[in-house]
Amino acid sequence: MSVPPLRRLRQVPRHLLVCEKGHARHARSRHAAHVQEHAYNCRVSFLIPECGILPEVLKNTIADVGEYYLVRNLSVHELVAHEFIDAFVKKGSCYALTYNTKIDQDNTAALLPNGKLILSVDKDTYEELGLQGRPSQYSGKKVMRYIITIDLTDSGFHPDSKKHNRVLWALKEKKPLEFDFLLAWYNTGAEGSTLMSYFSKNQIQALKPKITFNTLRDLQCPVLQSNELQGKPDESCSTEELFEWLGAVLNQVSLDNKSSSFLSTYCCPQPNTIVEKAFLCTITGFIIPEKIIQLLEQLCCYFGEPKLAYWLTLTVHGFADSPVSWRESEHGFHKGGENLYNFVIFRNLDYWLQMAVGTNDDCPP
Amino acid sequence: MARAEPPAATFERRVLRSAAEHHYLRVRLELPDGGARPSVAQFKQLVVSALRELHGEVGAALPVDVLIYEEKTLSAILRVISSGLVKLWSALTLLGFYQNRRCAFRVLQTSPFLLALSGNSRELVLD
Amino acid sequence: MVRFKNRYVLCEVVSEDPRCRQCIEERAVGLAVRDAIGRVHGDYGLACCSISFTVKYLNAYTGTVLLRCRKDSYRLLCSALPFVRQLESRAQRYPCFLNTLHIGGTIRTCQKFLIQYNRRQLLMLLQNCTNEEERQCIQKSLLSCSITEEQSHSGDEEDDDGTETD
Repeated sequence: MSVPPLRRLRQVPRHLLVCEKGHARHARSRHAAHVQEHAYNCRVSFLIPECGILPEVLKNTIADVGEYYLVRNLSVHELVAHEFIDAFVKKGSCYALTYNTKIDQDNTAALLPNGKLILSVDKDTYEELGLQGRPSQYSGKKVMRYIITIDLTDSGFHPDSKKHNRVLWALKEKKPLEFDFLLAWYNTGAEGSTLMSYFSKNQIQALKPKITFNTLRDLQCPVLQSNELQGKPDESCSTEELFEWLGAVLNQVSLDNKSSSFLSTYCCPQPNTIVEKAFLCTITGFIIPEKIIQLLEQLCCYFGEPKLAYWLTLTVHGFADSPVSWRESEHGFHKGGENLYNFVIFRNLDYWLQMAVGTNDDCPP
Repeated sequence: MARAEPPAATFERRVLRSAAEHHYLRVRLELPDGGARPSVAQFKQLVVSALRELHGEVGAALPVDVLIYEEKTLSAILRVISSGLVKLWSALTLLGFYQNRRCAFRVLQTSPFLLALSGNSRELVLD
Repeated sequence: MVRFKNRYVLCEVVSEDPRCRQCIEERAVGLAVRDAIGRVHGDYGLACCSISFTVKYLNAYTGTVLLRCRKDSYRLLCSALPFVRQLESRAQRYPCFLNTLHIGGTIRTCQKFLIQYNRRQLLMLLQNCTNEEERQCIQKSLLSCSITEEQSHSGDEEDDDGTETD
């Protein structure tokens, strides 16, 4: 049955917002796992109310977010090569994502830290490649997009195996795929060769994340209570209200509109307090989850000493064009490709976690 | 600390399915070079007149907010009630004239979450 | 085969000016309704309603009008009917409004409703009449209409798809 046109006029694309609350120091808390599972992040921002100058510790953490690399015209078969797998994939967490490719029209590739290479390709490329894959979940009746997953750390994927040779042949000779890749590598301890020296033959560029600081004056902040996720009238605001308010702050929307205003009727949710100054820091780049966990830990430690602020927030935006959102669940663009999450950390180390995804996405974990 | 802190929160999870009250659009108005640029009030008026043209008085009564407007780049963020997203989008697309000059609205990004508009990875430019 | 489902909207033209009656003609009513839809629902609504929109039946003497449109868009049409404020014909313009009586899926149900409705109207007139001559006149027409009603009563209960009354 088709939907009548007039009802379709009122429908909006599907979207999900998952809100969780818990305690950051609880033994079974999974908040760090949620961060770890969201592999590709393009922007991290945090907002601390009642804070004029950032503590040294946090400054150091931000400076330590680490650099990432942009490799131009890299063939995908180089990521499947055994030298690469042994040197990087097996020795740490290696992240790779194609840069400037659009998931809804181009071929896209991504390497997850667990050693899975995911290729999201259109029908023609898929047929030319001749590798086994599955149709995209969101392609409808006529499949135009296929997902190929190759496990690089699989024991059956050793250098002489048939599987390895087939993949190498497909990516090298059958249908050579070339992309600009964003690369990042995280390893604990053991020194090895670096990505910079490994890809020295290619056009490689080391990039530092862009960091901006901003102090907001006389900001209206909603009042929150950590154990009231839905808020109470006249006492505290709900998570949805906070989510919208945070979006308004990050987009520099003015909060003090009147309800009768012609231009905009948006105003800060009630009840609210005026905060003299708030510190907003934004980091833009290819940021790996390990660094975000470090930052999250430091933000929790911020409340180690008595502070004026009741809560602070940490927002992480994912790449709209990555083939996965959380874990290995497929991600598509549809109308916005949004996949993002936001932490609210309270003074008593309770946390709220809000995870939002758009239409072509699974429910976050 | 004198004030007694409330007990640590127990785990709770809420899933809100397609529950967003508003949708947000990042738009840019394209005008031929030279000539007057609309002020923020004129801009809102233009949006309302686009709605009136395509969807009549009922469309013009849709609650649309101009959250930000930058006169220099003619870009804006609009907020609209979710059930009116399709109406607003179609009206903006079909608008062709501003004060008898050709114009066009480009919808750059749309999302049910305002927060998503603050970080668009498609605009990520690396030097 | 799939049938195109239509909705028939039965309404009456109410005007204080008796000269308005000469304006009630298909073109004038159609234009006035189209104009109202265009004003209230814009180009989109007008285009939606225009599919198979016609003035199906019109009685200038009683002011009864039967409009037809697609089932998908009858809500647009109905919500725009109260905004019809005047009828215009031959450069003359009289204020009036449309009173929606019934919305039906077939012309037949609309006709049945109209007969019943008019009968009720006659009864009301009978209660309100002042002199004997009027009373007799109404009684006569009442009797005549009950006879036709008896005749058309045979095989009445079936058909009647998707009648919506409001």
